[in-house]
Amino acid sequence: MARGGIRGRGGMNRGIGRPPYKVKMFLPRHPFDLALCESSFPRVKPAPDETAFTQALLKRNVDLSPTASEQTAILNLVTKIQTVLDNLVVAPGAFDACQLEEVRQVGSFKKGTMVTGHNVADIVVILKTLPTREAVEALGNKVKEDLKSLMKSEVVTKGEQLTHTTNERGIEISNSFACVRVMVTTLHHNIRKLDPEIHLDQKIMLSHLAAIRHSRWFEENAHHSSIKVLIRLLRDIRTRFEGFEPLTPWMLDLLAHFAIMHNPSRQALPINVAFRRVFQLLSAGLFLPGSAGITDPCEGVSLRIHTAMTLEQQDICCLTAQTLLRVLSHGGYKHILGLEGNASIAKEMSVWDGVVVSPLDKAYENPPEKKDGEEEDEDMEAEGDESMETIEN
Amino acid sequence: MATNNYFGFTHGGTQYSATATGAAYQAGQAGYAVAAPATAAAAAATYGTQRAAGYDTAYQAAAATQGTYAAVGTGATPAYEYGYGQTAAAGYTGGYDQTAAAAAAKPATYATTYTQRAAGQPQAQAAAAAAAAAKPAQYTGTYQANATGYQATYAQPAAQTTIAAQPTTQAKQANSTTTYSGYDAALYSAATMYVAQQGGAAQQKSGGWQGYKKGGIGAKNMRTKAPPKPQQLHYCDVCKISCAGPQTYREHLEGQKHKKREAATKMAASVAVTNQNRAGNSLRCQLCDVTCTGNDAYAAHIRGAKHQKVVLLHTKLGKPIPPQEPEIIGGPRKSVSSTPKINFVQSGGLGIPTGNGDSKDDEVDEQPEPDIQPVGQDYIEEIKSDDGKVISFNCKLCECRFNDPNAKEMHMKGRRHRLQYKKKVNPDLVVDVKPSLRQRKIQEEKMRRAALREEFWARRHYNMPEDEDDRMYWEDRRRYEEEYMEMCRRGNLGPYPRGRPPFPGGAPPYFQGGMPMARRTESSDDRHVMARHSEIYPKEEELQSIQRIVSHTERALKTVSDQLAESTKPKEGQAQQPPTPQQPVAAPAANAANATPAAAKPVEAPAVVPKPESENKSAEQQQQQPKEDGRDNQLFSFQQDRDANRILKGVMRVGHLAKGLLLRGDTNVELVVLCADKPTLALLRKVVDLLPPALKQVAPENTYTVTINAAEAGLTVVGDGLTVLVQLTSPIMREQEAASGGLDRDVLARGKCLQALAALRHTKWFQARALGLHSCVVIIRILRDLCQRVPTWSPLSSWAMELLAEKVISSVPGQVQLSPGDALRRVMEAVASGLLLPGGPGLGDPCEKDSPDAASGLSAQQREDLTCSAQYALRLIAYRQIYKVLGMEPLPTQQKVFRRDRSARKRRRSGGEQADSESDSGKMVKTEGTETTTETPVK
Repeated sequence: MARGGIRGRGGMNRGIGRPPYKVKMFLPRHPFDLALCESSFPRVKPAPDETAFTQALLKRNVDLSPTASEQTAILNLVTKIQTVLDNLVVAPGAFDACQLEEVRQVGSFKKGTMVTGHNVADIVVILKTLPTREAVEALGNKVKEDLKSLMKSEVVTKGEQLTHTTNERGIEISNSFACVRVMVTTLHHNIRKLDPEIHLDQKIMLSHLAAIRHSRWFEENAHHSSIKVLIRLLRDIRTRFEGFEPLTPWMLDLLAHFAIMHNPSRQALPINVAFRRVFQLLSAGLFLPGSAGITDPCEGVSLRIHTAMTLEQQDICCLTAQTLLRVLSHGGYKHILGLEGNASIAKEMSVWDGVVVSPLDKAYENPPEKKDGEEEDEDMEAEGDESMETIEN
Repeated sequence: MATNNYFGFTHGGTQYSATATGAAYQAGQAGYAVAAPATAAAAAATYGTQRAAGYDTAYQAAAATQGTYAAVGTGATPAYEYGYGQTAAAGYTGGYDQTAAAAAAKPATYATTYTQRAAGQPQAQAAAAAAAAAKPAQYTGTYQANATGYQATYAQPAAQTTIAAQPTTQAKQANSTTTYSGYDAALYSAATMYVAQQGGAAQQKSGGWQGYKKGGIGAKNMRTKAPPKPQQLHYCDVCKISCAGPQTYREHLEGQKHKKREAATKMAASVAVTNQNRAGNSLRCQLCDVTCTGNDAYAAHIRGAKHQKVVLLHTKLGKPIPPQEPEIIGGPRKSVSSTPKINFVQSGGLGIPTGNGDSKDDEVDEQPEPDIQPVGQDYIEEIKSDDGKVISFNCKLCECRFNDPNAKEMHMKGRRHRLQYKKKVNPDLVVDVKPSLRQRKIQEEKMRRAALREEFWARRHYNMPEDEDDRMYWEDRRRYEEEYMEMCRRGNLGPYPRGRPPFPGGAPPYFQGGMPMARRTESSDDRHVMARHSEIYPKEEELQSIQRIVSHTERALKTVSDQLAESTKPKEGQAQQPPTPQQPVAAPAANAANATPAAAKPVEAPAVVPKPESENKSAEQQQQQPKEDGRDNQLFSFQQDRDANRILKGVMRVGHLAKGLLLRGDTNVELVVLCADKPTLALLRKVVDLLPPALKQVAPENTYTVTINAAEAGLTVVGDGLTVLVQLTSPIMREQEAASGGLDRDVLARGKCLQALAALRHTKWFQARALGLHSCVVIIRILRDLCQRVPTWSPLSSWAMELLAEKVISSVPGQVQLSPGDALRRVMEAVASGLLLPGGPGLGDPCEKDSPDAASGLSAQQREDLTCSAQYALRLIAYRQIYKVLGMEPLPTQQKVFRRDRSARKRRRSGGEQADSESDSGKMVKTEGTETTTETPVK
């Protein structure tokens, strides 16, 4: 390296005495995205026919959608519980263990992205008071009583017997067809007052509040049915390929929305294009360190959603997507959708039309030295405008 | 006398700031009187001539006084003056300007210094300058030649002398300091500093001035026969102290205290912020650069031994003593207030101006801070000695003791005491709230970040005209200049003993990676890419030898073309024999021009001389200004005055050579010769026959072997281990099949000719699209290296790779310019996202009709493997292992370099310091070699 001026530099630095101007600027960059620069890459040959692929996607979506009976069962239960809780908000009466501020439905049931076989609906109850364990317990009992009185007139079959449990998130009420989770949280300004000894966990409370924001955002921005279809497909893929395990439902929502809506025309892309794009984006490192990723629209500070995953998870998620992308391009969509074969394609070598698709290795190395690792970890998980260098001199 | 005079004269430059002072004005001062008086004369004489340069304006005030100095100097030592005059008359005649004078004043030192400093100057000049040191008289010419080069720095010390002399007469100083703003003041302090240092160096001969690597080198080479100096002062300008000897001085410079101090002064900008945050006001002693929190503290400082020592020292050195008034920092009143009631005994009364004290008395006695009433007098008990004298005080509130009544006073006004008082006695007492250290730090950090961010965006939005590097250079240069000014304003030159430090950037062109400019947003990826790039970038000699052989070949080809043209003129019919007889010469050529899409403009009439495709304009321009070879990577046209019969029209560099993509170790370069007609085997043979003599003629001293390479439709020239492939082609080849309908046996392989034509187009495209794109060429070189190293990547043709890189880098949304590291990552991202996979869009070739896929040659498996490799590479880059992708050793991280630098401390850090981030460096000091093992368990 031609470092003509290095001596000069050194001297100068010493002279100035201040650390050589730390480059604190870390600007995450959006990875390469074909959909955004299609003009640079005009198709040189006609796009392959993808009707079969599209049909397969739609068929898979139908398979994954909950059946009518499932929907009825869960709807019934949700309606009842919503009624009970609404009553508690409006007329608490003698119930004084806690005060209810608001009751909201959240989650996949509310969004319409439920996957069959996973009949869980979520309701968030915001308490005016602090969520002590006793209060949650009392709320659970109250709901139980009220439900009982509500269903007095009904003929309760054996399967419809309700079971009530309380956990660290709130209350779970289920019968053999459906399950409703009543998740307890408290007003935002109360969050700071939470004491881990007597109250529910602060992180969980915050996540419940976030769930409300998420469902609100979803209602406003992601009502397009293509998005819902894609989310359902992705949720299914997530359960089948363990590399995608760390992706949260919220990440999938945002990813699906991004893949479908984030293009120059702002018109929803066809499902087959969007489905492939999800894998292209992940393969291009959308969720890798150093990438701009997707910014959480529901957080005040700019938070890249993929930073919720550990570095190793990001790596594995990326490499799974990369392998699947290659499988997909060689015509292996049926395996990816779970219509054929199994999930081993992500981890084992497979042959498609004479083309050998080999799996990838992890790039992430466990930091050999603790110290270096720390530095790197911090660097890479650095959020928002965080810097590349961490040790302050 | 002559020798004496000579030496005195020689050393004049080195010392004259001090010596001149002594000689001319302070005859009584023993320390300086010994200095060769001739120096004074020399210096004085220098002033006379000095003013020509840029300093004239800046130094008008000084100039006003210079006359006097000169007069005094000559008056005092007429004999010496004569001696000088002799020398001058003998040697420095004619157009002897002030630079030369300055050079003469101190040739030895300057000459050697400049060898190191003025890196841009040719070695020969420096050598000449060194010689000049020995015999200054004869080298006037040389000096004049470099006048501008030397001027800036040479002029400085001489000019400074004037100022340095001035503390003796305070009135003058006031005069001049008002005129001399920032920069000049700095020069001045540099000069004094330099004096001190010269002294040290003279004694120490070849002592390694680590602290002064840059400036001190000159001193090292200085003549050792300095006139004896009675007192060698080792004065540290930063810490305002003197050291007993060079050894201690050096130790001091390396010491923690000095470093800290230096850092502190450099941080003055942020200190200003701090001070603003600090409630209340602070007083600053400008002399010692000590900030006191209040009047009392300031007064104590002024009385203190340390301050007195500094005053004494400055007086001795003849350095100016800043006014006694404290500088008020962050106070509500900006006016300079006098020191409240300090009985300051001036030491020595030597150079200390009296006017200072007078003016102080004239001023209104303002209290710079609201008077804080001491509280809690009752809680301070006096401890008396046996004989009833108060020996110390004990504050019961704060549980501390003092011996000094002043300290007691100060303590009672102090914050800590008041807080204690508030807490324990009277809760109503108002104590101004000082933001905690942490808060302040956070605040500072915030501001710094905001500033940085702004700067970043400003730079980002700054639309750079053309050349990024160039702009960077000037940007850095500008910043450097600003910074320097800033430093000067603070009157602190740190390690620059004199003059201004040379700009470290070297010459403007091409210093990518030359400086690990921390202020440039340069990530670790960027550094790795640039490091690898400089590894693969061909060496200067390689480039030159390639340039040479190509240039020779081109010129020889021109000769051959001329010879062919000569031979065809008389007997045209014969020469035209080989090509298809049914077409006259002009017609096919015109045809070709019509047909080639690149030419794109219809030829007006067949009578008009057909021009080689697409280069019409440039070729024409070059006809007006004939060029020697195709150095500019454009067509090197052989045509002269529109001779229609010339068969070899021109030659152009193509491929990596023309694109600037040559890598280290590349030995094959390509040229394409455009022919007027279909190139035939006969023509090729003829060229092969004619070329060796032509080469001999062009380059008699080189031996080249020329062999025919019909398979490649050309010939090769081999020499120096380099191979030049010269391909013959013609635009007509594209049309041939349609036109003649059949293959002519004699015509060279059509495919090869078409390839050569395509190479021409590719070169044109590359010059138009990729060369101007930021980071693109660097990345293409890196990718070329990758394609050569990694077998997976080798199927990707060079052309496809260039297209890929250009498309990917130019398609960044928002036209953001990518740094090299980001650009490489983006290319990997593109391939990783399946751009090359079957079903992808493909790479449209802009140089062909209907833009076919440039990468169509890749099989599905190759595409798969490429994608797979890129996917892994992408993740490696994301996880900080870009060096694996580049095939190099990881570079050490930047902060490590920095830490090692800091580890030069003498002691271990004391345990009281922050243990978190610092502890490891503390450990490192002890076991430098095995740092990895000691570093490990921090948490």
